[in-house]
Amino acid sequence: MSSLKPFSKLPALNTANILLVESEEQLQQSLAAALVEEASVTVNVRLAKSLPLPVENEESRPRIDLVVFIINLTSELSFQSAEASLKYLDPGYFLGKVCFMVTNARSASVPTERLDGVRKLAASLHCPLLFAEDQTSDGVTNATERLLTMLKVAAGLVPMATALYLSHLTRCTVPPDIDQPSFD
Amino acid sequence: MDDSARRLLQRLIRRIPAQMLKTTLEKWGRLTAAQKQSMDFTEPKWAFTERLLDICEDNGWTGKHITELEMTYVIENPNQGMWYAFQLMDPEDDARSVELTHFKEQFKSHLSELARPVSVKIKKHADDAIWIRIAWGDSFSRPNHLKPTYVVHHLQTPYVFVTSLTSKQKPFLSQALVLSTRHQAIKDASLSGRKLGAIRDLLMRQYQQVFPTSYPSPLAERNGTVSNPQIEKEQAKSAENRLQMACEAFGDGMLPQLQSSVYKLETKFKDHTNKTMTEREEPFRCVVKFASTNLLESLRHCASSGIASTPVTPLLSSIPLKGRNYFVIKDNGPGPSSQTRQTQN
Repeated sequence: MSSLKPFSKLPALNTANILLVESEEQLQQSLAAALVEEASVTVNVRLAKSLPLPVENEESRPRIDLVVFIINLTSELSFQSAEASLKYLDPGYFLGKVCFMVTNARSASVPTERLDGVRKLAASLHCPLLFAEDQTSDGVTNATERLLTMLKVAAGLVPMATALYLSHLTRCTVPPDIDQPSFD
Repeated sequence: MDDSARRLLQRLIRRIPAQMLKTTLEKWGRLTAAQKQSMDFTEPKWAFTERLLDICEDNGWTGKHITELEMTYVIENPNQGMWYAFQLMDPEDDARSVELTHFKEQFKSHLSELARPVSVKIKKHADDAIWIRIAWGDSFSRPNHLKPTYVVHHLQTPYVFVTSLTSKQKPFLSQALVLSTRHQAIKDASLSGRKLGAIRDLLMRQYQQVFPTSYPSPLAERNGTVSNPQIEKEQAKSAENRLQMACEAFGDGMLPQLQSSVYKLETKFKDHTNKTMTEREEPFRCVVKFASTNLLESLRHCASSGIASTPVTPLLSSIPLKGRNYFVIKDNGPGPSSQTRQTQN
């Protein structure tokens, strides 16, 4: 099966490439529009609904520096689609080049098991877990800034910092009592 | 003006929302300019009704004029209550040449013969639709104007749209329609909705349709919005395919607003993990209902976003294709088989 490889292509000058994977294809559009406005670095955004990516784009696709899985907590399908897509990533990506972004965490209709499941998944893969608010433009701006910070490091544009080093600091950890019933 | 006309007017004014009173009275066209000036549209409705009643007394108007006002209001605001579609079958040779005056005479005379006493009012609307208002009576009472039936028919089309019809009144209306339009039968089209315009557009295909094409370039021209070269969709082709198939099944642009679709299943239970249910001989009866403010729009979105698999299943695509939203599904046929619906009430 075709998996996405992190270092099989050459990087471009002052460029960072990010892949946003989202089953609903909603937040990725507004994030993309905000990301390309970054002035100091040329940001190329690739949007996908799920992995694997089509083989036809293999040649034209640049080296992907950061893969972001956007999961909508109100939908079980979203979580399952993200989980299923993980198989198509080369293990090299999990050294700081993958990040999970979660929306609607505050919604009352979300079962706590789902957020716990995402936490455990992110922790087992040593990836950071970001929470985003997608209904307002401020929320999208905040999420964009955080992604840009990680993206610049992952693309090697920040001196003295590598993706692996950053992920050591930002990766998701699971509290030891995560399986205990919580107070509601 | 007698009591029943008075009550009818009170009910009617109560029913019309305050902001529409002025325009409705304007369209009715019976008030003179002076009378219109004297009406105060900001006063409470009961006071307004009293004033209107006085004017009606002065002019010597009767229940007939009030029903005319009601008909004006309903024609302008038809989206209240449920409309049901019927289809006329087996036209005679001269069905195509039925014209308005002939239809009016025939309908009135047939209906009066069948359901005496009955009060019928027929009006032709600007867009060639014939509106019929029927107040039914029986051998003990005069026609009840508080619960009229409204019928809309376009001549030379086989479709009739009806609202507020009881099962007792249905055979009379059916017979009168069949005879006056020179057809041999009428059947239930299994289509109902709150918006008259929507079910009419659906049946007469008055929405933008998309036909299958080997060259999907027309859709590519439409997506002119994503122009930033730095943003690229990886799976654009499969998204386009899904959108094309969704539009082929449901249509493009604005779609007629249906509120629900109902599937009545009478099929055998099939689940390998549940032996007790699968072994039963009788079919498993179950009703599945999809409801939405704009059902066709929701279904099209389901198909284009991948939630419903494409190509769109005939169960869903039959809604616009056959123009119906009630299906009875039995085991014998591969797709939904058509059955006549139970009468309402």
